[in-house]
This record gives sequence, structure tokens and C-alpha cells, in this order.
Amino acid sequence: MVMNKPNLFFRALLVFALYIAVFPALLSAEPVKEYIKISKEGVKRIPLVLKHLDTEKNKNKQYASEIDAIVKRGLDFTGLFAIIRAPLNIISGGELYQAGKRSINFAALSSVGAEVYAGGVLEKKGSTLSLDMEVYDALTGKLLMRKLYQGDKGNMRKLAHRFCGDLVKMFTGKPSIFESKIAFVQLSGGKKEICLAEFDGYGAVVVTRSGGLALTPALSPDSRKLAYLTYTGGKPDLQIKDLATDAIVSVKKKGVKIDPAWRNGTVELATTFSFDGNQELYLLRDNGTITRRLTRHGMIDVSPAFSPDGRKMAFVSSRHGSPQIFILDLFSGSVKRLTYEGKYNTQPAWSPVGDKIAFTTMQKNGEINIFTVNADGRGLRQLTYRARHNEAPSWSPDGTMIMFSSDRSGRKKLYVMNADGRNQRSLRLGGQQMQPSWSTFQLKSSSY
Amino acid sequence: MKSLKFLFRTLIIPSLLFVVGCSTCCREAVVAPPPPPPPAPVVPVSTELGDVFFAFDSALLNTVSESQLNENVQWMNDNPEASVVIEGHCDERGTDEYNIALGERRAETAKNYMTNAGVDPSRMQTVSYGEERPFDPGHDEDAWAKNRRAHFVAK
Repeated sequence: MVMNKPNLFFRALLVFALYIAVFPALLSAEPVKEYIKISKEGVKRIPLVLKHLDTEKNKNKQYASEIDAIVKRGLDFTGLFAIIRAPLNIISGGELYQAGKRSINFAALSSVGAEVYAGGVLEKKGSTLSLDMEVYDALTGKLLMRKLYQGDKGNMRKLAHRFCGDLVKMFTGKPSIFESKIAFVQLSGGKKEICLAEFDGYGAVVVTRSGGLALTPALSPDSRKLAYLTYTGGKPDLQIKDLATDAIVSVKKKGVKIDPAWRNGTVELATTFSFDGNQELYLLRDNGTITRRLTRHGMIDVSPAFSPDGRKMAFVSSRHGSPQIFILDLFSGSVKRLTYEGKYNTQPAWSPVGDKIAFTTMQKNGEINIFTVNADGRGLRQLTYRARHNEAPSWSPDGTMIMFSSDRSGRKKLYVMNADGRNQRSLRLGGQQMQPSWSTFQLKSSSY
Repeated sequence: MKSLKFLFRTLIIPSLLFVVGCSTCCREAVVAPPPPPPPAPVVPVSTELGDVFFAFDSALLNTVSESQLNENVQWMNDNPEASVVIEGHCDERGTDEYNIALGERRAETAKNYMTNAGVDPSRMQTVSYGEERPFDPGHDEDAWAKNRRAHFVAK
């Protein structure tokens, strides 16, 4: 049986490709099962046994269990794995840290349905923690990865996430989300300010001092700059903040400034200005100077979203009456209408890895739901159902997840889901949040 | 003398009779007074600045909104030193970003109408708050109708 199975890595890749490419619309309300077996469509999460970290010295157990928890939460967040409780007889011949003596019982792993095993040993010298991690194909017993991670005990989260990132990258072939950042609007005490946090909302800090109304944050691809709208002094301004130096470029044009978006591969962003008398989209540099006008039409043009190569821009226009999404080719200047279903389609977000565009539709029953569609207008798929207002989709840097805001619980909260709509769950942050912006690429090298 | 007597008979007596008759008539009028005509206004009735309301996803005026804008024009004419901020607002439906644009169009529509009616545009500033500052926090059509507005604030 084991012999006939193709290589796990390729199977995982194939499963993943199917998973994000052809999976039909699913009910978001399906019960969350911890162990999802192979479904009829051949799509599933990867069954993973995550062994608790072993440690030779008992006094290091608290570090081990803390890192265990961070790793599990991190892998759960990706929605890629079904994490299975490790069987008792998983290690034989000695303790896990006794590398020379012990062996891993792959038959026991197979018997609980695991396809991947991950485990490791923690050691501590001074304030430095070392994680010696191993990942095996549980079906063939093949070693998939072995890596040593070292870091200060004061930053166990980063240490644990480096392992999580490598594990995810092995299965997806893409840089993982674990170094990415999010920006979002935090509503507290009737005031809206913009927060910056790690990908899962951890460590959120307020980065604007607008006095109560800051909106539509957009993180630059390298997470170094943040563009947003602020009503300081009762007038809307576009601000571009350097997050390292706190320097702010304030663009004080007459009229509105709405919903900036960064253009991939450049230091440019697009936003709506109305100084010309009408709401039109413009390209500008991150120093605030306008380089080019992009639209010219008597109706509203807002909410730009660039293709991964920066050549095309999806945007919202009311040029045909109700708001619909269009795509502008920045090189040829041609404009094509993307959405035809529904009377109110807004908030486009272009997947950073593919040709999919997520957007929201306001439906007749008053719900706002998130859809994805291919850039050629085909493959329309509804991702949220019967959950009030689901807004402002933003893709993870690897294109496997979408973050959005929803008031399904009665208050506006940030949620994530897999790119096919499955596995919707709240980030569980305090207060209310909206308008998430997920950085599209990571910072180059980490500062661990 | 004859001529005086004649004058008395022909002019004075009839005029006396007329006066007596007239006073009788006035007394009767006191008994059954007709409704008095409304007093002519000494000071013109002061107009108020009022909000202008819109249909969903629309920045177009109708007859009701135009008549309110006419009153607002009158107010601007009566208060030549004043200037106003016209705030464009939307209801909570729809999406935030689009509604900022829609709110601006509502404020600009109101400003353009009043400019065409002779108000100096430099006395009118516009700002859009989208759906960020609802007048009525409710979640039904009653509330939404109140929130789709161009709101006038005198400075």
C-alpha cells in the first residue's frame, strides 16, 4: 500500500494546486472538523502529527511547551494542516533527544492517518534556545527536512515561526505568511485609528494620531510604508508614513483622497483624487508627487488593486450606473469590465500570486459577500454566505488566504479564510476592526 | 346766506348722515367681526439652513431637495457674512471607500445648485465623510434615509 503511494511532496503540491485552483464553491458554514479526510473532490488538509518538543533538562520544559503552542497556533492559522494528536508509542528505543538510540514508529503514525510527522528537541544555553527540528513523510519514512533554529528566549514567537514558515514553504513552494504584517482600522470609543500588527494580529500598535478618523490603510509591498486617509483638522488628507523613521508625507490636494493601493514592483501607488472636479484615479510616487492620471470619466472611479506584475489595475467605477469592477491595462490604456453579476460590486483585491481577483457584492437581501473571479471574468465563486456583511478582502502574501472584516458576530471583527472560502475564523482581537491590508511580500531577510 | 343754506343742505347734511350711518355700520362690524387679514410681515421670516436628502447610491436632486436648497440660498442671501461647510454623507450600506466618493458627489451637487442660484462658491466648502458620521445610528430604511444627506454647517 505504502509502495504504491506517489511521493508525498508531489502529492501535497498537487493537492494544494487543486485546492486553490479548481475547488468549487463551498458552504462556509460547514462544521470545522479537526481531521478532514479526503473529500470527494480530492481536497483535504495535510494530516500532520506534531510531536511535543522534547528536552533533556526538565527545567526547559516550560520553553518547550510554550514553543509547541506557538507552532500549533501558527500552523493552524495557515489552514493547510489537520493536526493530529501524536500516538503514545511514536518513539521507541529511547527518548526523542537521544538521537542515536531512538527511532520513529512510522507504522503508529500511519495507523492514526498521519501523512507528515514533525518533532524536535529543544536545548538552552544561556539565553539562547536551539530547536533541532525533523520532518518526515509518515508514509514512506523519508526525511523531508532537518534544520537547527537558534534564537533568544525573549523571542520564542519568531523562533517558532521560522520553523512554521519553512514547513509551509516546503508544501506550498511559496514564501509563507509568517513574516508578513497587516494594517487595519481599529474602532475604539467611537474613534478610528490605524494599527499595525503581525500577520495574525499579534503585537498590534496604533500608528496614526488622526484624532478620530483614519481610514483605508495600505501597506507597501515591503511593509516599510503605510498609506492611508486621515481627517486631521476636518479635511481628508492622504498620508504616506515611513514606518521605520515615522516621517509622514501628507498629500493635501483639494477634494477627497480615497483608498490608496501600492503598485507591485514600483515605489508608486494609486489613489482617487477629486481636485479636477471629479473622482479620478492617479498614480503617484511615495513622495506624494503625481506621475500620471489613470482614469477620465464623469462618474466615480475608486479602489485600485494592481496585478502582481503591476501592469494591470482593477478598480471600481460607476460609469455604467451602479458600481462595477473594471480592469485597466496601464500599458495599452484599454479598460475592460470584469463584473456583470449583481448591482453593486466593489473592493477588488488582486491575488499576489495568481490571476484571481477577490471583491465584494452587495446582494438584494442586504448581505455583503466576498467572491473571487479570474482576471478574465470567468470562474466566479462565492466565498461567504449568510453571514451579514463581509467586506474589504485582502490576500495573504502567498495567495493561500484572504483576510476580511465581518459583523457576523454583531461587531466588526477581522477574519481569515482559505482562498476557497473554507476554514473561516476570527482573529479574536479586542474592540472592532475593519479594512485589513496584508503586506504582499515579506521583508527580505529576517532580523532574528 | 341762501347759498350757505344750500351748501349746508347739499354737502354738510349728507356728509353728517354718511358719518352717522358709517359709525352704525362700524358698530355692527364689531358685533360680528370678519377674520382679520394676516399682518403684513414687518421683518422677513428668517430661513433656516436645512439638510438635503438623496436616494440610495444617488447624488441627484429632486423637487423636495431643490426647494430646500432654494431656502438655503435665501439663507445665504440673508446672511451675507456667513459661509458654510457642506458635508456629504451616506447610509451604512454599500462599502466605505465608494461611499466617500458618493458623499463628495452629494455635497458637490448641492454646492453647484446653490452656485447656479447666485451664491458665491467661495462661501461654500465641501467635505465627504462617506458613511463615517451617520445622523441616525439605526439600521433600517428610516435611519438610512436620514443619513443619505448633504448636511449644512454654518461657520
